[in-house]
Amino acid sequence: MNLFKISIANLREKKLNSFLSALLLTLGIGMISLLLLLNKQLDEQFKRNLKGIDMVVGAKGSPLQVILSSIYQIDAPTGNIPLAEVNALRKNPFVKTVIPLSMGDNYQGFRILGTTPKYVEHFNAKLAEGHLYNASMEVTIGSKVARDSRLKIGDQFSGSHGLDSEGEKHEDKKYKVVGIFQPSGTVVDQLIITRLSSVWDIHEHSEGAEAPAVAEVEHTDGQVHTDPEPDEEGKDVTSALIQFRNPMGLMTIPRQINDNTSMQAALPSIEINRLFSLLGVGIETLRTLALIIISIAGVSVFISLYNSLKDRKYEMALMLSMGATRTRLFLMLLIEGLSLAVIGFFAGIIASRVGLWVFSKSAEQDFHYSLGKFALLPEEVYLFFGALAIGVVAAALPSLGIYRLNISRTLAEE
Amino acid sequence: MISSNQLRFSYSAQKKFSFPDIHCNDKETLLILGQSGKGKTTLLHLLALLLTPESGDVVIAGKSIKNLTPQEITATRARNIGIIYQRPHFVSSLSVMDNILLSNYLANQKEDRQKARHLAEQLGFADHLSKKTNQLSQGEQQRVSIARSLMNNPNIILADEPTSNLDDDNCQRVIQLLKKQSAQIGASLVVVTHDQRLKDEFSNQVFL
Repeated sequence: MNLFKISIANLREKKLNSFLSALLLTLGIGMISLLLLLNKQLDEQFKRNLKGIDMVVGAKGSPLQVILSSIYQIDAPTGNIPLAEVNALRKNPFVKTVIPLSMGDNYQGFRILGTTPKYVEHFNAKLAEGHLYNASMEVTIGSKVARDSRLKIGDQFSGSHGLDSEGEKHEDKKYKVVGIFQPSGTVVDQLIITRLSSVWDIHEHSEGAEAPAVAEVEHTDGQVHTDPEPDEEGKDVTSALIQFRNPMGLMTIPRQINDNTSMQAALPSIEINRLFSLLGVGIETLRTLALIIISIAGVSVFISLYNSLKDRKYEMALMLSMGATRTRLFLMLLIEGLSLAVIGFFAGIIASRVGLWVFSKSAEQDFHYSLGKFALLPEEVYLFFGALAIGVVAAALPSLGIYRLNISRTLAEE
Repeated sequence: MISSNQLRFSYSAQKKFSFPDIHCNDKETLLILGQSGKGKTTLLHLLALLLTPESGDVVIAGKSIKNLTPQEITATRARNIGIIYQRPHFVSSLSVMDNILLSNYLANQKEDRQKARHLAEQLGFADHLSKKTNQLSQGEQQRVSIARSLMNNPNIILADEPTSNLDDDNCQRVIQLLKKQSAQIGASLVVVTHDQRLKDEFSNQVFL
């Protein structure tokens, strides 16, 4: 026999009341925990892929779209830009690296990205097997691509036009897998990377300015390009990732590009902050809702203990007459509130993991991003103490009545 | 052994009680008879140290309770006095067995399951130990509360109208068990009642 056992017995005696209180806590905690998890993982994913990219140039349009399509590969590109203009940026003394990107095809929903070896270097992608693409139509695939599409080294496949898997297939030209990257947690995991020239070879659009996603398919056999950083007259790319040599670049180059070229410059830090502040409104609303639910849970614990205490007044007087101290009974009631808080917390943590898993499944399907990190966050430790505090306060308020209970009168009343 | 000396208690200026002195040695029994409103329960609560008298004294096992701190009073009650109430009340969420063991636990004594089982056999509810108390009949419940009052081997057993809700058969059974059990542990048995059926069962009687 101990206080804990009596408390649990009391909670079980009032199953529905206890269930309601724990359920509300579970909901509130689960929501907050899920928001924390999503926030952290989205933040990490965004930050990790953003690292070292100071500017992106693409066709005129929404700067956010340029960032999303070029860095995160989740939105359609805004259009094409002439490679000559991109390469002209290399001459600028503030520019350190220029990584042109060319996209427009996919295989089973995974984007085929034509780029220079600098791209692979930038994301620090290591090979798990095989070697890096060398010739046109050779590809090296990300770990997630390899896992989901079951492509192996030596396999050949033809890409589909557009950025979703329903596009028309380029049957006559086949890519060949020559290497697979190690998982890196970056966007490389979900990409099929090849030479810029492969993408040109496949398409050879007569008019370069057309957006790849809507361009009509028009195949002509192209030349084979072998130089690592091609500078083709009349060739187009989708966008380019730019690194500056020093912060001075940030002050002058974007304006120059926007004013004097057909391209636009988008700054990832500004656009991502804008995106997060847009998302932030939703997150803030959900967080407020979760806090309201948690408060209701606290009120529910309070009401349920208050009512049960009225019913159990005689029991309390009885236990006092049998030698229990008031503090001991007060503790017993506190344990009831605390147990509900602990149950609600752990159920909420589990619920948030299930929610994250479901969310991750759909995110993976739609964007090929996985958010599968289920470890306990440090913030959740604070959440735990918060839940305990709510349990303690909600239980303590009605339980203080135990110190005013008149034993003799209560026992004599019935 | 329990005795009282010029006990007085008042709930208000109009509602004052002064009680005759009582005395009950170890192994003896005492019946306190009185009609409703004579302060039977008040006297029992004074004897059980649940109320503090306005004046007068109670002596429990040879020790006066005057000048005891509330903590000492609680400890004295838990260790020396077993109380049986008019209507048996229990902690409804606990089993019969746990309700009996509760008196050990709350008096900070070792839990004696064997003793609880033994008492249950003697009092005839050994089959119900794992049930909830509200699944038992009134007579059975009253026997459970007798077992509960005996768990700490008290010096004194106080019973407040233990038989008033029981039929004749159960009344006889409960009072015989009470007398037998208190004699076994050598305790004083004080019964407060208006139940005339008990008149012939006790030689020592006090009228309020």
